[in-house]
Amino acid sequence: MHNIIWSIVVAIGSLMALAYYAFVVVPARLHRLHCEGVRAFARLIELRSGGRYGQAEPLRTLALAVAQRLGLPTREQRLLELAVYLRDIGMVAIPYHTLNKSTPLTEAERALLARHPEISASIVEQIPGLRQVAPLVHLHHVVYQEQPNAPLSAHLLSALEDWLRLAREHSSDLATSILRQGVGTRYHPQVVAAILEEVHQQGLYGRDLARSAALWL
Amino acid sequence: MGLASAVLLAWAGVPLVQQHQLGAFAAIVALATAAELLLVRYPLRPEYPDRGVWLSVSTPVVIAIALTYGWQFGVWLDAIISLIAGLVMTQLKGTRPRWAFINTAQSILSAAAAGYTAALLHPPYLSMLSLRSGGALVAGLAIYLLVNTVLVSITISIAESTRLGWVLKQTISSVPRDVALMVPISFLVALMLQLQGVVGLLGVLVPYLALRQAFVIWARQQALYHQTIRSLGFLVQRAHPYTGGHLQRVAQWARRVAERLGLPPERCELVYEAALLHDLGKTVLDERILNKPARLTPEEWEHVKKHPQLGAEILSDTPFLSQIVPWIALHHERPDGKGYPFGLNSDQIPLEARLIAVVDAFDAMIGGEAPNQKRLHRRPLSIEEAIAELERGAGTQFDAQVVDVFKQVVHEWQRQREQHTSKASK
Repeated sequence: MHNIIWSIVVAIGSLMALAYYAFVVVPARLHRLHCEGVRAFARLIELRSGGRYGQAEPLRTLALAVAQRLGLPTREQRLLELAVYLRDIGMVAIPYHTLNKSTPLTEAERALLARHPEISASIVEQIPGLRQVAPLVHLHHVVYQEQPNAPLSAHLLSALEDWLRLAREHSSDLATSILRQGVGTRYHPQVVAAILEEVHQQGLYGRDLARSAALWL
Repeated sequence: MGLASAVLLAWAGVPLVQQHQLGAFAAIVALATAAELLLVRYPLRPEYPDRGVWLSVSTPVVIAIALTYGWQFGVWLDAIISLIAGLVMTQLKGTRPRWAFINTAQSILSAAAAGYTAALLHPPYLSMLSLRSGGALVAGLAIYLLVNTVLVSITISIAESTRLGWVLKQTISSVPRDVALMVPISFLVALMLQLQGVVGLLGVLVPYLALRQAFVIWARQQALYHQTIRSLGFLVQRAHPYTGGHLQRVAQWARRVAERLGLPPERCELVYEAALLHDLGKTVLDERILNKPARLTPEEWEHVKKHPQLGAEILSDTPFLSQIVPWIALHHERPDGKGYPFGLNSDQIPLEARLIAVVDAFDAMIGGEAPNQKRLHRRPLSIEEAIAELERGAGTQFDAQVVDVFKQVVHEWQRQREQHTSKASK
C-alpha cells in the first residue's frame, strides 16, 4: 500500500513540475529568445533609414514601464514588447530615397509613409510564430478619436512614440504639451496620464533630451 | 527484415505463453505504450518530418524488462509498443503506414539482439544489485542502439538514395550519448520491478516521462523560434523591392553541398539559414542602385559593397545566429584575396562563406537572382555554361573543393529531374 501511495505522490509531483516548466518557464524564455531575434529587424530599419525609424530600445524600456503602470497583463506586455521591435518592419518596402530625404516630403510620399503600419502588419501576419502581434503592429499609430476602442497597448505605443520623437527632435517640454493638447482627440487620456507620470518619475521630464543618453541608449 | 522479425517473434512467444505471465505482461505493455504515446518521438532526421524514422523512447524500459523477465518478454513488449504507437502516429501525422511496420521490424531485431546479449551476461530473475547485472544492462542498451541505428541508417539511405556511409556517420555519433542517458533510467526501472513490482514502474516512469516531455517541449519551441526568425528574414528580403525569389533555391543548394562536404547535420542547418539570410544587408541599401541596369559608378559600387558587413551587423545581436555572422560578412571574399570587404586569403575565409559564395554566384549566373528584371549587362547563362564559369574561376574567384562538390550536386539534381520528367511523360 505504501508503495502505491509513494508512487502516486512522486508521479503527481513530477507532473506539476512539468506543468510549471511548460506553462511558465518555457514561455518566458521563449519570449526572451523572440525578442533577441526580432531586435535584429528593428536594427535593420534603423540602418536603412539612417536612424530615423525603427529605433527600439528607449521606446521598449519606457513602454514596458508605462504598461506596468497601466496594469496590463503579462501577455499584453509581451505582445507590446514584440510590437516595439516589429512596428516599422514595413519600412523595408518604402523607397530608400523617401526614408532618407533631407528635404520635406511630398504629399504622395507622406501618404506612402503613412501606410507603413499596414505593410508591417502584413509581413508579421505571414509568420505563424508572430501572427498574434500583427493587430497591435497595425494599430501602432492609432488615433484615439478614430478608434477609441482599440487596445490600450496600441494607444500606448501611438502616444509614446510621438512623445519620444518630439522630445528627441525638439524638447521634452514641447513633447509633453503636444501630448496634453491631444488628450481625447489624438491620444487616449488614461495613456497620456500614465506616460507623463512615468516620464516624471524617471526624471526624463524637463531635461534636454536631444542630448540625453537615456533616450538613445 | 520482416520475415526474420516474424520468426523471432514466434520463437520468443512460446515460453511467454508457457510461463503464464500474461497478466503482468499486459500491465507493463499498457503502461509502456501509454508512455510512448504521450511522447513526441525523437526524430532522427528532423528536416524530413514526413519520413517517420525514429528512435523509440521506450528503449530503456524494454531493456530493463528483458533483463528482469527474459529477452522474449522484451522483444514482445517492443514489438507491441512500436506497432501501436506507429499506427497511432500514422493516423495523427499522416505518415505512410509502412513506416510503422518498418519501425516495428527494426525494433524486434534490435530488441532480440540486445535482450539475448543481456541474458547471456545476466540470467533473468537474479538480483539487480550486482556488477554483472550493471554490465549486462549497459551492453544490452548499447547493442540495442547500435543495431537499431544501423538498421535505421540502411533504411534512410535506401529511402533517400544517399550513401550509407554518410548517414551512418551522422547517426552513429549519438549512440554513446543515448546509452549514457538511458542507463540510469533503465537501471531504475529494473530495480523498481524487482523491489515493488509493476506499481513501482509508475513511480519511475512518470517522472522520467515528465523530464523527457520537458525536453521535447523546449526543443519544439526552439525549432518554432528558428522558423520564425528564418521566415522573418526571408519575408523582409522579399518585401524589399530588389531581392528576387532566389534565396530559397540558394539555401537548398547550399544545404545539399554542405551535406556532401560531410559537415555535421546542425552545421548543415545553419548553412541553410545563413544562405537564406546572406543578402539581408542589401535591404538596407538604396534599391535604385541595386536595380540599376547600367554599370555602377565607383561611389555606387562602394555603396553596394557595404552589404555583407551590414548583414552581419543586423544579425550580430542575435545570440543563436552568432555562428553565421562571419559567414554572411565574408560571402563576397575570394580565395585569391581579391574579394570584399577585407580581401582575405583562402585560409582566412570560413568554408561556409566560400560555399555560399559559389552557390550564390551560380544562381545569379543562371538568372535566378532577379527573374523579373532584364539586366542589360548580363545575359542569363545555361546550367552548363554557369558550371563552366565556376570551373574557370575555381581556385581564384571560387573555392576549388566547393566547386567540385557543387558540380556533383548539380549533376545529381539534373539526373533526378530527368528521371522525374521521363516518369511523368510515361
